[in-house]
Amino acid sequence: MANLSTTYLGLELKNPFIVGSSGLTATYEGIARLAKNGAAAVVLKSIFEEEIQMEFREALKNQLGPQDNNLDFLDYLDYQIKADVLSKTTELIRRVKADFDLKVIASIHCRSVGEWFAYAAKLQEAGADALELNIYRLPSSLEVSAAEIAEGNERIVEKVMKHVRIPVSVKMSAYTTDVAYTAQRYAQLGVKGLVLFNRFYQPDIDLENNRVVGGQVYSNPNDYTWPLRWVSILSPKVALDLAASNGVHTADTALKMLVAGAAAIQVVSSVYKNGPDYLLDLQHGLDRWMDKKGLQDMAALRAYGRAMMPENPELFERVQFMKYFGEV
Amino acid sequence: MDNRADYLKAERSAEWREALRKTMKNKERTAQLRVHMPEAPAQERARSYVEVNSGLTAPIAMKEASRCIDCPDPTCISGCPVNINIPKFVKNIERGEFLEAARTLKETNALPAVCGRVCPQEKQCEANCFYTIKLNAEPVAIGYLERFAADYEQNSGAISIPEVAPANGMKIAVVGSGPAGLAFAGDMAKLGYEVHILEALHEIGGVLKYGIPEFRLPNKMVDVEIESLRKMGVQFETNFIVGKTATIDDLREEGFKGFFVSSGAGLPRFMNIPGENLVGILSSNEYLTRVNLMGASRQGMDTPVMRGKRVAVIGGGNTAMDSVRTALRLGAEKATIIYRRSLEEMPARVEEVKHAQEEGVEFLTLNNPIEYLGDDKGKVKQIRLQKMELGEPDASGRRSPQPVEGSEYLIDADTVVVSVGVSPNPLIPQSLPDLKVSRWGTIEVDPETLQSSIPDIFAGGDIVRGGATVILAMGDGRKAAAGMHQHLQNAR
Ligand SMILES: Cc1cc2nc3c(=O)[nH]c(=O)nc-3n(C[C@H](O)[C@H](O)[C@H](O)COP(=O)(O)OP(=O)(O)OC[C@H]3O[C@@H](n4cnc5c(N)ncnc54)[C@H](O)[C@@H]3O)c2cc1C
Ligand SMILES: Cc1cc2nc3c(=O)[nH]c(=O)nc-3n(C[C@H](O)[C@H](O)[C@H](O)COP(=O)(O)O)c2cc1C
Ligand code: SF4
Repeated sequence: MANLSTTYLGLELKNPFIVGSSGLTATYEGIARLAKNGAAAVVLKSIFEEEIQMEFREALKNQLGPQDNNLDFLDYLDYQIKADVLSKTTELIRRVKADFDLKVIASIHCRSVGEWFAYAAKLQEAGADALELNIYRLPSSLEVSAAEIAEGNERIVEKVMKHVRIPVSVKMSAYTTDVAYTAQRYAQLGVKGLVLFNRFYQPDIDLENNRVVGGQVYSNPNDYTWPLRWVSILSPKVALDLAASNGVHTADTALKMLVAGAAAIQVVSSVYKNGPDYLLDLQHGLDRWMDKKGLQDMAALRAYGRAMMPENPELFERVQFMKYFGEV
Repeated sequence: MDNRADYLKAERSAEWREALRKTMKNKERTAQLRVHMPEAPAQERARSYVEVNSGLTAPIAMKEASRCIDCPDPTCISGCPVNINIPKFVKNIERGEFLEAARTLKETNALPAVCGRVCPQEKQCEANCFYTIKLNAEPVAIGYLERFAADYEQNSGAISIPEVAPANGMKIAVVGSGPAGLAFAGDMAKLGYEVHILEALHEIGGVLKYGIPEFRLPNKMVDVEIESLRKMGVQFETNFIVGKTATIDDLREEGFKGFFVSSGAGLPRFMNIPGENLVGILSSNEYLTRVNLMGASRQGMDTPVMRGKRVAVIGGGNTAMDSVRTALRLGAEKATIIYRRSLEEMPARVEEVKHAQEEGVEFLTLNNPIEYLGDDKGKVKQIRLQKMELGEPDASGRRSPQPVEGSEYLIDADTVVVSVGVSPNPLIPQSLPDLKVSRWGTIEVDPETLQSSIPDIFAGGDIVRGGATVILAMGDGRKAAAGMHQHLQNAR
């Protein structure tokens, strides 16, 4: 039996499997099921600024009296909603920390400097072991350039770093122009890790019923190749712990990520599809392969990976289908 | 509502009304300009507690009343949350029957002297006046006239004490003595109930006493109403915290047959931004209560917090305006309102904003605090503000404020009063597990009877609405009295 423990963001994890931010990690009961099946850590469901704004607008629409004369009550209700969401999350953190043997990573979705950094400190106070920032917004504005977006993101990260002592990671978008440069910048700002990569809500069109609908929610088992590429490229280059996310559906895929240099693995879709006890399958799969290869622990696994990689480092950096592939 | 329409029509065709309408042509009526409320000079009043508005004189009130054309379809009434028969009281002023005008007001409004001073008329009756909607002119000064008639009655010494039905032997408890509780008590006393008002503080009157300052609503106006209730047999117990001094269950054992919870919304809200717990940052509730109930010159008031030189008030409601104007009166050199939307979106009464501006309050609209910075003793020194811009109108029709990236800057402040709303005090709901409350802690009631999920408990005012107005709280009190009376009759 191999020793599966690893460190991620400076946290001791009993195995590399983290359940990513999702509905699976939104409630105490949900987390209890994950804990029972050996999840080493959970990333809590993100707190979304937009959701709060939406709820606020609904409250204004539905509760404003005919003469607006309860406006005093509603005018700043968004702060109350935020406080409410925040206190629910801090309460969840407290209970989970008290009852289960796993690390808790809080997640916030921030879109501007001014608003959310303050909350980071409160999550830390409640006992979160680390903080994952989910910064991405669709760059749909005609006025904002990539440089401005990048600069805005750095400001958010800087601001958060100023307000917390716990380790911070950033969940990156696969659609970042300069993944490597950005990773390096974040490292310089004090970020401890990256999650490669986020997956987004995907709207689709329903041709039968003439409407826009939510597209496929879960990842596919072959979505892992893009994260695998970036884990391979970045792991020797930047001083950051990398967590692979997106398309890890089997123990083999998880192993590929670890061999490529990932410090941890985040899973969501595969747990949704197969249930929380699938976490045990993943752990067993990892263990079996390591035994077969005679690897005793994660350090040995990583050394195995490093030994394998340098032979063709440029492979993961190749993107165009050149002649060789053309003949297939 | 047909009954109500018939009643209004019948009243309008009273002989004296018909005759009065003929004394002046409508053209002459509408050619007159709206009166101005006489006010204490801004420079003087900003440093004292004199009432800012001094009220109309009888001749001026009568002249203003003559602007009202006594519409066949009086739209103003629909703007009043308690449907005061506005033309009837206004026409009584025009003909010089001031006491009759006051009686008309009291048919539906238990506290006209208060409402005349604090109602947001520009959103209610006056917004629906014929002058406003059809002539695009300044409305009849309904609020000023209401105040005039009510004050006249108070000063005349001829305050009519309503008749009280013979005692029916049933004891009723009212939790809290704000406008909702007072109005409820009055109606129940009239019906012959033995009414006890239980109040947590040492003063009766709720927000009317500890919230709204003397320069806007003198305490003596409220005391007159309380005196009337006393004469009707209503009993008051102060320093009585229901849920602590005695629970509802204790009171049931003492023989109380019904409860009206009108405990208001007294729990201040904060923004939860960094630095908010620095010394020198307090809620408007605490700030105003200390000034209004403890007296500005008395002990404890001379703390630097209360006597800040640079006072910033966060918010745009009545409470914010009252706080910032109080700061001036406590000697602030600079008193500033910080509000994240623009002047037009402020929930405060238009008159309060105007008065604040005249008195020298600085308005930093489209600005929002995001952090407070302190000195080495932990006392607030500066505020980090972010500029805002207004985005698209949202579902409520209001334009929502968006932060302007990179627009942060610092201003100095030694006292910050946070006035971003209040929540209901959780004491009573917490002590009654069966009581249905909303996510915000407001008590849920049947909209018609104001009965809660516990049959002998009714509720109204800010504890139900979250935070509203005096007139709505008052209206709730009356509605609940009718509801509870019905309930107790049925139970017999
Ligand atoms: C500063 C300020 C300015 C305002 N300006 C205006 C204005 O200009 N115009 C306007 O229309 N409205 C204004 N309002 C709002 C208005 O005053 C309130 O909507 C109204 O007073 C609500 O009445 P209420 O009877 O529900 O509660 P309150 O007036 O809040 O009274 C509740 C009472 O219950 C007591 N109480 C609470 N808990 C207990 C308990 N457990 N046991 C016993 N007693 C208890 C409290 O001490 C208090 O006295 C203002 C409010 C404030 C704070
Ligand atoms: C139902 C659902 C909800 C999710 N909610 C969040 C979220 O709140 N915050 C976040 O950062 N990612 C969220 N994600 C993305 C996942 O955390 C994860 O990055 C993505 O699903 C890719 O991993 P997977 O292939 O293991 O599913 C969500 C994914 C799913 C399927
Ligand atoms: S109570 Fe208020 S709304 Fe009604 S008539 Fe008087 S001022 Fe207008």
